[in-house]
Amino acid sequence: MQSSFDLQYIIELMPILLKYLGVTMEMALWGFLFALILSLSLALIRVFKITFIQHLAALFISFFRGTPLLVQLFILYYGLPQFMPIFIGMDAFTAAIIGLSLHFSAYMAESIRAAILGIDKSQMEACLSIGMTRLQAMKRIILPQAARVATPSLMNYFIDMIKSTSLAFTLGVAEIMAKAQMEASSSFKFFESFLAVALVYWVIVLFFTRIQHLLEHRLNKAY
Amino acid sequence: MIKVTNLSKSFDDLKVLKEISFDVNKGEIVVIIGPSGTGKSTLLRCLNYLETPTSGSVEIGGICVDAKKNNNRQINQLRKQSSFVFQNYSLFANKTAIENVAESLVTVWKTSRNEAHETAKIILIKVGLEDKLDFYPSQLSGGQQQRVGIARAMAAKGEVILFDEPTSALDPEWVEEVLTVMKQLAEEKQTMVVVTHEMQFAREVADRIIFMEEGYIVEQGTPEQIFENPQQKRTQAFVKRALKQ
Repeated sequence: MQSSFDLQYIIELMPILLKYLGVTMEMALWGFLFALILSLSLALIRVFKITFIQHLAALFISFFRGTPLLVQLFILYYGLPQFMPIFIGMDAFTAAIIGLSLHFSAYMAESIRAAILGIDKSQMEACLSIGMTRLQAMKRIILPQAARVATPSLMNYFIDMIKSTSLAFTLGVAEIMAKAQMEASSSFKFFESFLAVALVYWVIVLFFTRIQHLLEHRLNKAY
Repeated sequence: MIKVTNLSKSFDDLKVLKEISFDVNKGEIVVIIGPSGTGKSTLLRCLNYLETPTSGSVEIGGICVDAKKNNNRQINQLRKQSSFVFQNYSLFANKTAIENVAESLVTVWKTSRNEAHETAKIILIKVGLEDKLDFYPSQLSGGQQQRVGIARAMAAKGEVILFDEPTSALDPEWVEEVLTVMKQLAEEKQTMVVVTHEMQFAREVADRIIFMEEGYIVEQGTPEQIFENPQQKRTQAFVKRALKQ
């Protein structure tokens, strides 16, 4: 049976989907915050070549870049509780945030590391020459400059992360993708349902792209 | 003030500095001259441990660091005794002129931000940049950037300022304003070690000139001695060529 495109259905579905947008954005924002902290640590460990743990950092990055996010989420949520009791009580929402932050931190660490290495080494020398320590130099001079370089690619990962939260529905998190899926199965309007959810993601991404431009403009003040 | 003893530096098999020893007294202005690639800049960078010497020791303001036996804390202490003016200015790109100058006071000496900015302002006025306090390096000319560079070095509370070819990267029109600031410092008896190709400046300002070639100190003495009555053949040849320009 062929049905005609139902615009009215999409319009009616929107407010229902938007109720679940909070869950999606919460996952993305928490995930990104943790990913940022973790990736900065990983990048610094590798830049300063801290003995032994730099190899662990490299292994971590290799694994989380080398395997699919969906597989990582399944290992985390369905696999680990089998051996580690502390994971048994973990809800799907938490598991999704952990999985997203681990996965994206691996990519982001490499972006941040590249941005740090891209800052001219004379900046570090100038810091040392006035008696600053390497750590002070990193905090006050190198990282603020690297932040400017890394912002476009980090924002790219954030946008990617927003969209990747849709995978959380495979763990049973009730976010917008899960809701769209549910609505589609009951109404049989698959095209309209998934188009509606696609539009929601698109608008969100447009919004953050705008934020990115404002942020870049601010960071370019000195240049 | 400065005591350099048997300082050597090799890059792989290339020996750049060969057992260099010399002293600098408080208030003395020492200018190092010599052909390109003879290790002048490397020597200066070793004084600040921006380059790690292979052997020998550097002592500034009572802090002595041996190339073979040292730790990060000692090196950091040594660096606090001197400050550095770079050929390419190397101003902090994310900081304004006044923030560049105040940085060492705030971060290293833990001065309050307001006090540090007061001091920085006074120094910037001294180098003639009172109207550029809130400009970023990218908004300044080469000559202005280098004057901020000197101001930053002055603020750092070091006993001695090391100048690594401070005018070599400048357009000719900016050289004079930078040399003027350096002369001003010289008049105030600021201890300085200057690597430069500006022979006129060396002659006018230096208390002592060190002539280096191929990693050795060939000859040192007063400007009159080096420029008018050099003892070594190699010094004679260099001076003759340099003064012809």
